[in-house]
Amino acid sequence: MNRIIYQTNEGGVAIIVPADCGLTIEEIAAKDVPAGKPYQIVDVVDIPTDRTFRNAWEMT
Amino acid sequence: MAIILNGTTGITTPDIDSTAGFDGEDLTGDVAAARITGALNATGSAPIYACRAWVNFNGTGAVAIRAAGNVSSITDNGVGDFTVNFTTAMPDVNYSTIGMCGDLTYGSATYLEGTTYSTTAVRILTRSGYTASPATGDAAITCITIFR
Repeated sequence: MNRIIYQTNEGGVAIIVPADCGLTIEEIAAKDVPAGKPYQIVDVVDIPTDRTFRNAWEMT
Repeated sequence: MAIILNGTTGITTPDIDSTAGFDGEDLTGDVAAARITGALNATGSAPIYACRAWVNFNGTGAVAIRAAGNVSSITDNGVGDFTVNFTTAMPDVNYSTIGMCGDLTYGSATYLEGTTYSTTAVRILTRSGYTASPATGDAAITCITIFR
């Protein structure tokens, strides 16, 4: 399972969780990532599950 | 073509669409409406408006979608802050967003708040607590339904 991540305008990280909708993850990224935003496709295991400081997450 | 009653071959029903044989697309007007309302167990003459999109997701830990319809993805924007992205866009932004969230993390009242509406997505906040300005919080069960 993959996730799409991109940096928000506020400097945080948005994480797109794909649904089983018949679209590929690339198609979902093209549709649901805000226009012009660079993004990465990462494995779900690379996303922390401890959300205590979720709003302070940054992309590295 | 009329309905033909034949003692040998049975009943021949109208085939008015491009698909060979009699199928659901051959139902028109009152016949189709009666079949649909009957299948939905609906009585009376009030119109029926179908759900246009829905999603049930876990907003805690490893955020994940359990099931969805006409939803391509959800965007995790932060604590209690999610965007529901539609696979096929709504006709306009005047849709009704209905939702509930079960906040197993905080174990208190939860609130759902729509913040940004577009034809392609709706951004919602889930809040937890009994205070005047409850903070956003992640809910283990978050359900959003869109009607239009």
